[in-house]
Amino acid sequence: MPEDLLFTAMANPVRRRLLELLRDGAQTAGALAAQFELSRPAVSEHLQILRRASLVREEVRGRERHYHLTAEPLAAVSDWLHPFERFWRDRMRTLAKIMDEEDD
Amino acid sequence: MTDTIHVDQFLAHPPAKVWRMLTEPDRLARWWAASGDIRPEVGHRFTIDMGAWGMQRCTVTEVEEERLLSYTFAEGEMDWTITWRLAAEGAGTRLFLEHGGFDLDDPRHQNAFTNMSRGWPGIMPRLARALDEVPA
Repeated sequence: MPEDLLFTAMANPVRRRLLELLRDGAQTAGALAAQFELSRPAVSEHLQILRRASLVREEVRGRERHYHLTAEPLAAVSDWLHPFERFWRDRMRTLAKIMDEEDD
Repeated sequence: MTDTIHVDQFLAHPPAKVWRMLTEPDRLARWWAASGDIRPEVGHRFTIDMGAWGMQRCTVTEVEEERLLSYTFAEGEMDWTITWRLAAEGAGTRLFLEHGGFDLDDPRHQNAFTNMSRGWPGIMPRLARALDEVPA
């Protein structure tokens, strides 16, 4: 289920921090791991969860794995996934409609 | 890490009229939720009836007549903040909403988030399609 993967991926502070770090450009697994007080395998596991949710892309160059942020699903998350944002957009549209109808 | 939602909407009506939609109980109920006792007065405590979510306790924290209204929302449960800003735009008003204090590390917020998501079945297929369209 893609939605489960995405919720799981986003609902973790380490993974959200990884996404933030990748905003400035691709980094190797090693460089990313060095920025956390976690073991390298633990950081790799977080990266795999992000990869399965299509939030990062993995590129193997020689012995190193480079990670790239894939921005499109992130935009989708912020635009569509946040249920409260959707809720407020709907309420605002209702407000506009009601005000137009009762205009006198 | 807390998150804030920003939403804005143009309304083809002057700020004074929009202000009444936000601050008068009977008008608020017409587009959002019932509140028997909302009043734009700093320190005023009121409730908003969110139906299945129950009555939410709120306290007005900031008022600038026809420009800004800010209150706490779901006190003691979610501790969110709701801020409405009104800006004249042409012959109408642009209404800005900030819904702040989301913390996805807090289990109560995670629950609210996922419960609310179930109410939006259309979102997930769209997201899934968007994800499919992105090169692997």
